[in-house]
Amino acid sequence: MLPNPLALIAEVTHRCPLHCVYCSNPLEMAAARSELGTEDWIRVFNQAAEMKLLHLHLTGGEPLARADLKELIAAAHTAGLYTNLITSGIGLAEPRLAALIEAGLDHIQLSFQDSREDSGNWIAGTRAHAHKLELAHIIRKQKVAFTINLVVHRQNLDRLEEMIALIETLQPDRMEIAHTQYYGWALENRAALMPTREQLENSVKVIDAARKRLEGRIRLDSVTPDYYARYPKACMGGWGRRLLLIDPAGKALPCHAAGVIPDLRFDNVREHSLQWIWEESPAFQQFRGESWMQPPCRSCDRRTEDFGGCRCQAFLLTGDAAATDPVCSLAPTHHFIEATLLQMNTERLPISNPVNIFSQQRNNENAPPSAGAWLYRKNPS
Amino acid sequence: MSLPTDSTQPRLASGCRWSNSNGEDKTLLFPEGALRLQGTGKKIVELCDGQRTFSEIVNALQADYNASDPAQIRQDVAAFLEQLRQKRILDY
Repeated sequence: MLPNPLALIAEVTHRCPLHCVYCSNPLEMAAARSELGTEDWIRVFNQAAEMKLLHLHLTGGEPLARADLKELIAAAHTAGLYTNLITSGIGLAEPRLAALIEAGLDHIQLSFQDSREDSGNWIAGTRAHAHKLELAHIIRKQKVAFTINLVVHRQNLDRLEEMIALIETLQPDRMEIAHTQYYGWALENRAALMPTREQLENSVKVIDAARKRLEGRIRLDSVTPDYYARYPKACMGGWGRRLLLIDPAGKALPCHAAGVIPDLRFDNVREHSLQWIWEESPAFQQFRGESWMQPPCRSCDRRTEDFGGCRCQAFLLTGDAAATDPVCSLAPTHHFIEATLLQMNTERLPISNPVNIFSQQRNNENAPPSAGAWLYRKNPS
Repeated sequence: MSLPTDSTQPRLASGCRWSNSNGEDKTLLFPEGALRLQGTGKKIVELCDGQRTFSEIVNALQADYNASDPAQIRQDVAAFLEQLRQKRILDY
C-alpha cells in the first residue's frame, strides 16, 4: 500500500515584497486573482490531518501577504498539524506575530540575505535587512521555535563566517544554510550565483566548524550545492513519496518546480481530495517507483537512496524529465554540468559590489528594480 | 557533551510538542522532523515536564524496572536525554 506523505507544503500566494535573485519560484507565477480562498485552504488542511500528515509548511511568495493567515494557522493547528511559517518577515510586527502564535504557530523560519545591510538589500531587491534584524529580536522573546535561513551563493559566500556570527547573536534554535538551488529565478541568474570551487570548499570547512562550536545551542542544518556533488540529491525524498505541494491556485505538485515539466497533468484541490490526488493524480504517478528510470539509474545501487535525483533539474538541463539527474557523476549528460562548472570557475565572473538600486525612480513599489548583474524576481499579476 | 546532573529539570524545547494522536506510540513533533516513541523512551520524555529533576526521573524509572542495575539505568537515561538535547528536542 502507498504510504501517505509526511508533510504538506502550502504555497499560499506567489505575491512577495522581496525580489530575491535566488528565488526558486516558477517564472510563471500564479496570479493573485487565481489564489485559493480561506475555505479551500482550510478544507485541504483538514484533509491533510485526516491523512495523518504531520507538518504543514506555509510558504510562498510571502505568506504574510495573505490577510487570512491567522485563520489558516488556527485551522491547521486545530486539525492537528505542526505549523511552520517560512517568511521574509516583511509585514510582521509584534502584535501580528503574537496573534499568529496564539493561533497555534509552532515554528517560524526567517530568511536573511547577507550580514551587511547594503548587500542584503541588493540581493533582496528591496529594503528588508534592517526590519529583519529588528524582527528577529521580537521573535526570540516569543514562545515559538525559531529558525534563521540563509541562502548562500557566489555574491555572499565570502562573508559566510560573518553571516553565521550575526545569526548567532540573534539566538535562533536552528540555523539553515542552504546553497542556492537552480530553479526558477535562480536558474536565470546562475552565472552570477554559482559559487567557485574554492568558495564551496571553504564553506564546507566554515559550516563544519560552526556546527561543532554551536552544538547543543543552535542546530545547524545545511544544504550542499548539487552541481559540485558526486551524486544527486534525493529530491523531495523521492517523487510522490513524502511530500505534497499545493500552489497558490490549488494545483497539486510533487515538487515546487514540477510545473516546468511539459505534458504532466496536475490536478487541483478545488476538484479532488488530497487523498485522491496522492493516490490517483497522474503527475504524482509519473515518476513514482522505478519503472520510469533509464540507465544507469535503473540498475544502480543508489536508486533507492536518491531516486535518480531531481526530475525538474533533469528536464531543465537535458530536456528529458526521465533522464538521470545530470549532476550525477554517472549520468550520460554529466558533461553539461562539468562544462558549466568549468566556465563558472575559469571565466570568474566578478563578485560584484552592491549597487544602490534604491536611487532608481520607480513608479510602482511592487515592481522589481532593474539591474545589470542579474534579474530580480517579479511579482504575479 | 553536558550530561544532566541530579538537579537538572529537562523539558521539551520550544517548538517541540506531542502530536494529538493517541495510541501505544506517541509522536514528538519539532522543526523539520518527528520522532515516534514507544516504551521506555516514551516514558522518559513524558517525565521531562520541566518540573521533575533528573534524579526524580531516574527514581521513577527504577521503581518501574526494579530488577535492573540502578547505575546502569542512570547512565542510560543520561545518554538518552543528552542525545535529545543535542537534537534540540529537549532543553536543560
